[in-house]
Amino acid sequence: MSKRIFALSSLIVFAAALPLAAQTPAALKPASPGNTAGSNAKSWSLSKTPWGDPDLQGTWTSDDTWGVPMERPVSYGDRLYLTEDELKAREKAVAQSKQRIENPSDENHSPAKRQLEAAAKGETAAPAAGAFGRGVDAAPVPGQFGEYARRASKQTSQIVDPPNGRIPELTAEGKAKQAAARATRGKTPETWTDWSIYDRCITRGVAGSIIPVIYGNGLEIVQTPGYVAIRYEMVHDTRIIPTDGRAHMPPGIRSYMGDPVGHWEGNTLVVETTNFNDKMGIGPNGGGIQSEDMKLTERFTRVADNTINYELTVDDPRTYTAKWKIAFPITHEPGYQLFEYACHEGNMAMRNMITGTIAEQAAAAAKKN
Amino acid sequence: MQKRFLGALIAVLALGGSTFGVPSVAAQTTAAGVPRMKDGKPNLTGLWQSLSTADWDIQAHGAQAGPFYQLGAIGAVPPGQGIVDGVEIPYLPAALEQKKKNFANRWKEDPVIKCYMPGVPRSNYMAFPFQIIQSQKDILIAYEFGSENRLINMGKPQEAVTDTWMGTSNGHWDGNTLVVDVTGFNGMAWLDRAGNFASDSLHVVERYSLLDANTMNYEATIEDPKTFSRPWKINVILYRHREKDARLLEFKCVEFTEELIYGDLRKKAGK
Repeated sequence: MSKRIFALSSLIVFAAALPLAAQTPAALKPASPGNTAGSNAKSWSLSKTPWGDPDLQGTWTSDDTWGVPMERPVSYGDRLYLTEDELKAREKAVAQSKQRIENPSDENHSPAKRQLEAAAKGETAAPAAGAFGRGVDAAPVPGQFGEYARRASKQTSQIVDPPNGRIPELTAEGKAKQAAARATRGKTPETWTDWSIYDRCITRGVAGSIIPVIYGNGLEIVQTPGYVAIRYEMVHDTRIIPTDGRAHMPPGIRSYMGDPVGHWEGNTLVVETTNFNDKMGIGPNGGGIQSEDMKLTERFTRVADNTINYELTVDDPRTYTAKWKIAFPITHEPGYQLFEYACHEGNMAMRNMITGTIAEQAAAAAKKN
Repeated sequence: MQKRFLGALIAVLALGGSTFGVPSVAAQTTAAGVPRMKDGKPNLTGLWQSLSTADWDIQAHGAQAGPFYQLGAIGAVPPGQGIVDGVEIPYLPAALEQKKKNFANRWKEDPVIKCYMPGVPRSNYMAFPFQIIQSQKDILIAYEFGSENRLINMGKPQEAVTDTWMGTSNGHWDGNTLVVDVTGFNGMAWLDRAGNFASDSLHVVERYSLLDANTMNYEATIEDPKTFSRPWKINVILYRHREKDARLLEFKCVEFTEELIYGDLRKKAGK
């Protein structure tokens, strides 16, 4: 994966110059028509599995939240939801993108087509206006990657708590870790450890496997008495979640995806995950930082035939000075399926990136001599 | 011997099998005590693992030295009685030559060394457990090795959309036996560490049947007209992990292979 695409998929925040109306942050509302799928609330009721657990099964995607930045632009203040006008603008962009992707044609001029046309002339196509998901009012990436928002999210950010929608201040330990990570990212990558856990095709972690990026946003839930299993497309991780509220594994066992334990609270599946290693973080594609003491608490609540409300609370006092929470719906879309993502098996990029650096360095050295 | 075990043993002997190798167990009759779903189907949910050494070599083999003398006894190949029904694997002549080449270069060429997906059926007899999660609809298998997984579609069969390492699995029940039809392989996985292999025309039909609550018979018919002169079978017993709180653990092996795969590049960079 090129560094540019990787950076794009990190959803960098920028300050939007929009007038603000102060608004009390509200808890994430259940899906409503126009925001997410939401079948008519009156006629829908949650079905249960034959053994009596709420049925969350099926294929789900976080596509509808693509384009919503994880951290809220500072200018939005404490406002979690878009105004009516802002929402209309986003709905328009989403509709255009959806139309373009679902009806590819010569007239649509998908970016792929423009890029190929430009390359044939030996040029580079300029990105379309508002493209590539920077900030609240961006249009979702259309076309060539296949994942796209089908409905306009009302949210200004994925983070819904603290009230300003931004990651809380880091502790001293967190800041030191972040500085070290930035130093690594800033230097010319020479070996595999200079690349992210994702680029190395190891995993994207618990949060990174569901926070939407340009592709690979799908997951599948399969249940059986006593367990809920979640299988993620990218990078083919499976979490086996026992729902008997058993104890976590001993602290000596640490892993990238941690040890999940679940229980039902009414119709909500609550999952607590501990026993993490500290090699990655909370963010798109597993970027960010965390400590081994991090505890993640997720809540999955099905609110419509094709909508599950998802919440993720990050509790890591060694890294962050406060807990923080991400929330967005995941939806079921007709025709959407998961594919095998044999990342490591096909990771020619790592080899190419390292040899590319070597070639650059050799060229620079040759110039000197 | 406990009555139940004796009963199962008699069933195995009575159902017999081929002249050589492992007798095949057609477990249409499921022993009492088998967990079942509400609809009566056997519930295969659990943490399962083969006790065989089939991953080293699916054919009968004696003990052998391993590739690194420094690892002495712990790096050596353990013996195995084999899981191939009928001893010989019916390779076509050209494929047999390829198998011999694979064997000669196995400590370099085995894709699993690089943490590549072991495919089907090899994933089911690795020295790592796997978790079956059986719902009232589909069946998910999550493998500890490399976090591989496969979803067995129990609805209307779907054609493989593209070639993959783990194939596309469509399943249905034949009495108390789960039958899984796997197609759409990319031909890049091996069947074991000894270089047994198949092409992208591989077609595997698996049969999973519970012999009792804690033992499962796994049989796979392997068909590949580009590699073998006829279909042939393997047969493995899978055992349920019954330790208190047994769980699938994480074995993400990519990090153990990066030096091997990219190390030559780093050396070129003088690092």
